[in-house]
Amino acid sequence: MSLDWVPVVAVFYCKNVPGGGEEERHAIEKRYKGSARLYPIPCSGRLDAIHLLKALEEFADGAYVVTCPHGSCRYFEGNSWAAKRLETVRRLIESIGLEGARVGMVAESSEEPIDLSILTGEFINSISKIGPSPVLKS
Amino acid sequence: MPAKYLVHTSPAANRFEPITKSGIIAWEEGCLKCAVCVKKRCVYKVYEKRGLNPRQMIDSIDNLCMNCLRCVQGCPRELIHKSISPEYAAMGDDYWSPDIISKIWYQAQTGKIPVSGAGYPGPFSGPGFDSMWTDMSEIVRPTRDGIHGREYISTAVDLGGTEGALCFGEDGLVSGPEIRLLDIPLPILLRMPVSRKISPNIISGWAVAAKRLGTFLAVGAEEMVAAPESCRPFLMPILDGEVACPEGVRVVESTFSAEKDANSFKSGNDARFVCLRLPMNTGIEERVLAAARAGFSIIHIEASPNGSFLDDPGKTMKDGIRAVHLGLVEAGIRDSVTIIVSGGIAMAEHVPKSLICGADAVFVDLALLVALECRLCGRCDMDLPCPVEMDKAPPPWVAKRVVNLIGAWHNQLLEIMGAMGIRDARRMRGEAGRAMFFEELDKSTFQDLGRREEGCEIE
Repeated sequence: MSLDWVPVVAVFYCKNVPGGGEEERHAIEKRYKGSARLYPIPCSGRLDAIHLLKALEEFADGAYVVTCPHGSCRYFEGNSWAAKRLETVRRLIESIGLEGARVGMVAESSEEPIDLSILTGEFINSISKIGPSPVLKS
Repeated sequence: MPAKYLVHTSPAANRFEPITKSGIIAWEEGCLKCAVCVKKRCVYKVYEKRGLNPRQMIDSIDNLCMNCLRCVQGCPRELIHKSISPEYAAMGDDYWSPDIISKIWYQAQTGKIPVSGAGYPGPFSGPGFDSMWTDMSEIVRPTRDGIHGREYISTAVDLGGTEGALCFGEDGLVSGPEIRLLDIPLPILLRMPVSRKISPNIISGWAVAAKRLGTFLAVGAEEMVAAPESCRPFLMPILDGEVACPEGVRVVESTFSAEKDANSFKSGNDARFVCLRLPMNTGIEERVLAAARAGFSIIHIEASPNGSFLDDPGKTMKDGIRAVHLGLVEAGIRDSVTIIVSGGIAMAEHVPKSLICGADAVFVDLALLVALECRLCGRCDMDLPCPVEMDKAPPPWVAKRVVNLIGAWHNQLLEIMGAMGIRDARRMRGEAGRAMFFEELDKSTFQDLGRREEGCEIE
């Protein structure tokens, strides 16, 4: 692992999760600089497998999704679709030899929601442990 | 007659996918799986060409769509919708509206006048420049050969003051001080926006654009080192504080106090023109009058970016310019001073409207950034990365985009002048009689409404 490597994570999050506002986004970007690329989406059901795959192909060492709590999607089933699509992506990247942990999903809890800023930090930490993506190296 | 002035434009593609006004929402649930789906029948093949832009993580479908609404109308289960994009609606502010921003993008990209279809749905009046209607009485027929045809319309303006009368000597020749003027081919000057971080690349591109247009770029004295040497005569350094005047420039801008006269400033700057900057605050007309009497021949009045007074957002720059112009006319010294206004010049129509109110020329500032795809999101002020990577814009592209925007505005100026029957931009200055002002019309029409005259009361 080269010393000057900086992990980059793409975080796709539903705008309705706690801390999903524009001001919070600015604060997270300021805190993590170029390590966090944030993509707010109107509902996690808008997420497609291509979003995660393109992010991994172009710039990100890991791609993560933050959704509303199970059963609390404003559009009823958006988060469960996102979970299915994420599993498809995980299978695909594992089949080409990438670590499955490079993609992940966190469903917020309705009782104790975790702030998006803390989650982003955790994503960056977990990617730091896995190391740089071989896709970007090539 | 001088050669016809024409701004040569050429398309300059966007570096990033622009934010579109509306987006396609296509539901998959309830699809009947028709043998020939409306998506396949799209004449522009939008659904086939669509892809994900990995740089911005946006679907290209909305930029490809031509808004024919064929798919929306054709789907038997009505599963396809078009809706206003919330990202579009959130752009800019009340003054720099999303429509203004997207029209500037279009003009900078194509160099053409934006056409929004037949008819105008309104509103017909609003605050500031929107409460002015120009007199288009000369439109009596479709023009024979367009705005660039045989009729000569001059958009050139002079910077500098002239004497009230000519003096002749014994030999019959003109005596007295020499009249010096700077002639620019259009009443638009470029200006670096304040309080925004501008990269040297952009300054360089703007300077090239100013040279190509034959106008000036007002730029901070420290930032002007980024401009190519050949563009120096087209730069107007802003000398705030005790900064040495750079060599090779023809005009400088200063915030010199009006108490001192122009000559005392010129002593250190030989024969250069001095443009005095005054903030558009309450009582601007008196300060302009004092500055003109002190000998300043070019005065720049700076309004807020939203086209209002700096100290009173309720007053619009339109009224400020009119008051300044009329004050100078009443004092009989209007021709001895050139008035340039800045701030709030967001649309092509603001140029002729400023001129009609009494300005000689305008500075364009924020629109120059918007021409480079700026979304006015203000992230640069918060030290956050720019969504359109402004600092990486190549100077030739910057120059092309600005020339395109000013070219489109110049064409619109010609259209308005042609329709008004005015053939010289200098003649348009202060021609308030060739425009209608909503406040005045409202007053003259409805002022007496509800008022009872004495002796006419109903018993």
